[in-house]
Amino acid sequence: MECQKICNHKTVIKKEAFSVTAEELVSIGKEAIPEELISNKHLIYSSPATLAFNSPGAQGFGVKRAGLAIPGSVMLLVAPGCCGRNTTILSELGGYSDRFFYLMMDETDIVTGRHLRKIPQAVQEIYDTLEKKPAVVMICITCVDALLGTDMERICKKATDKTGIPVLPCYMYALTREGRKPPMVHVRQSIYSLLEPRKKKSTSVNLLGHFAPLVDDCELYDLLRQMGVKTIREISRCEDYEEYMAMAEANFNLVLDPEARFAASDIRKRLEIPSIELTRLYQIDKIKKQYALFAAALGTQIDDDEYYEDARRAVENFRNKHENITFSVGEGCNANAFELSLALIQYGFSVAEIFASIGDGDFLYLEKIAKLSPQTKIYSNLEPTMLYYDCSESPADITIGKDAAYYHPDAAHLEWSDDVQPFGYAGVRHFFEACEKSLKK
Amino acid sequence: MKGLRKYISPFAPDQSGAAAVLCELGGLVIILDAGGCAGNICGFDEPRWFESKSAIFSAGLRDMDAILGRDDRLVKKIAMACEKIEGEFIAVIGTPVPAVIGTDYKALKRMIEQKTGMPAITIDTDGMELYDVGAGKAYEALFRTFVGKEIVELGAQEEKNKRMESDFRCLGILGATPLDVEEKEEGAIRDFYKRQGFDQIFVYGMGDGLEAVRASVTAEKNLVIAPAALKTARYLKKQYGIPYETGYPLETLPEWEKIVARIPELEGKRVLIVHQQILANALRDRIISRVNAAVTVGSWFSIDEKEKKEGDLVLKEEDQWISLIADKQYDVIIADGLFERALSGYEGEYWSLPHFAVSGKRKG
Repeated sequence: MECQKICNHKTVIKKEAFSVTAEELVSIGKEAIPEELISNKHLIYSSPATLAFNSPGAQGFGVKRAGLAIPGSVMLLVAPGCCGRNTTILSELGGYSDRFFYLMMDETDIVTGRHLRKIPQAVQEIYDTLEKKPAVVMICITCVDALLGTDMERICKKATDKTGIPVLPCYMYALTREGRKPPMVHVRQSIYSLLEPRKKKSTSVNLLGHFAPLVDDCELYDLLRQMGVKTIREISRCEDYEEYMAMAEANFNLVLDPEARFAASDIRKRLEIPSIELTRLYQIDKIKKQYALFAAALGTQIDDDEYYEDARRAVENFRNKHENITFSVGEGCNANAFELSLALIQYGFSVAEIFASIGDGDFLYLEKIAKLSPQTKIYSNLEPTMLYYDCSESPADITIGKDAAYYHPDAAHLEWSDDVQPFGYAGVRHFFEACEKSLKK
Repeated sequence: MKGLRKYISPFAPDQSGAAAVLCELGGLVIILDAGGCAGNICGFDEPRWFESKSAIFSAGLRDMDAILGRDDRLVKKIAMACEKIEGEFIAVIGTPVPAVIGTDYKALKRMIEQKTGMPAITIDTDGMELYDVGAGKAYEALFRTFVGKEIVELGAQEEKNKRMESDFRCLGILGATPLDVEEKEEGAIRDFYKRQGFDQIFVYGMGDGLEAVRASVTAEKNLVIAPAALKTARYLKKQYGIPYETGYPLETLPEWEKIVARIPELEGKRVLIVHQQILANALRDRIISRVNAAVTVGSWFSIDEKEKKEGDLVLKEEDQWISLIADKQYDVIIADGLFERALSGYEGEYWSLPHFAVSGKRKG
């Protein structure tokens, strides 16, 4: 039967994903970025390309997994059932199956706030159930409590007083993602908030920012030792709670992810530990310059020539084999998509497309990209018309990031999103080695 | 403690159920959330998301949108999307955020229709109920919106009469979503009923689109395979005279051969089946038709009073589940493997009967 359509709305739809070239974008200027590239101006297309990074609890280190970075911690998710649904996947990842617990809210809880009164008892019940007693219980709350204005600090204190177990809040407030303190910034502050003042050791340093360690052969460890540092701590390498607490003896913190700035600032205020920030870069000249500035700031010198040479050779070797290769770069990887793209273009490769949201500071990279590769297309992963993305318009030989891989199913793929973090020259070296492997597959 | 889950992770929520019904119907489906709920639905509860490009979006709400109730901004975003994305209708699915701020869904529907000129449905899910509640709301909104009197007047009834005269048999299947039915089962269900003599089978929301919904009055009868769709089946019966029956074609279950081979082992046993009520009832009927066993049905989801037998269980709390099994009333439990996590002291047999809405795991 041919049913007539009720819908009388029919406009001509172009069925085309929105993009601008780097040249166009730079000529428009950062004050006039098209609405299609600004995520809060349009509906969000949570395509499979974006799930790895766009959902606060989806994959990788979202708030839930990050909140369990403290050794021996467990998490009680106090939220509507929907907020805990995907945790089944996390629970199946190694070591998490006995670390998540749920206190499920109902409509009455929203009206009366009675769920908050249950938290101390729930913490006690969890503690009593577990054979291996937790060092700390993280209470993770979500958008509902953000809107209710719940004072979770006070409730955690009450739970600590009642049970004698450290209880910390952890905020998975997707609503505040573009605010002053987004969830991933907040959780970084939370996981260091148990540290208490200790006598400082001048030879001790913390690396802040990541929930998994840097690659083992990262030169940063050696360069710090050249500066006289003897103990380098990362939360993910702490064997136990005591080692975690020893992070309070550090002489300074190295911030390796901008989302840890708030945590570093909080640590500076509470524990009087200053911090220095280093950026993850893929342009080897900039890496060299950053290390030189870092050493100068500490009044010392370092020799990174060997590492620089290794990285330069890795780039050269790859270029010799794959001179005319075209990359498609996404944001779902361990890199700033614009910085990585600029590095690749500077090394002589072609970057046809970048799939990424434009953040503060990215225009600096974009301006350089516009000069060197004006026709590179910029897409927002989150824009609704990405539904119509057609990879045949910009063929790529290799994609970087889970998102770019989704758009180019037939290209070689390098996800470059392992938990273990690439950094510095070692990051560049490993990146090109991994590209080589991906192309060989 | 009420609400505390130490072993069993949360089940698919109402918003996932609603999205599952609407996903394949060619509309613009908007999850009224900040991003996390859409991520959970698409990344976890909607396996079709990875295989087909569906127009499911997040409203991308931010704190000030919620605090100030800026529905006008939402409607503007939807209208912008409508100019670029092809769709037959707009569906807005609620989450905890609009539940807290008290979004007026009726007003939102009117605003969207006025601004875009497209039919809209709004589903007041809140993330605190379970998938069957959301699916039920979506079925109802869908059939109430798209099976209007005008459609009947446009010829569907005549078409039905013609078919009746020509022995053309059409079956409507209500309740099939990936949360209950594995994708490959959908084809098996069609084949199963074709073999039973039906010429056309509408599996609403799973394999069939909006045209099937619009043509639903041509169905000879509806088969309801999950309790979520019972209310809509009753509505279609009352409004359009389409009779319905409940049942589940167990033969289409990927693990059916294994289960059926073991049914003789249940002779004289006390058996508990935990699943969605209609599938569990069908399995009970099949078991007691072959062996002498005391079979109880339990469900964490909707239990329809008319479909319920004495002693059937409404499960709500983890503590209740643990105590129930600790009472040693059952020799065999047939249920999703996730529930077994909470039964460390259980000494009976446990037969796995996966339920995607529970563990997120596929069958077979």
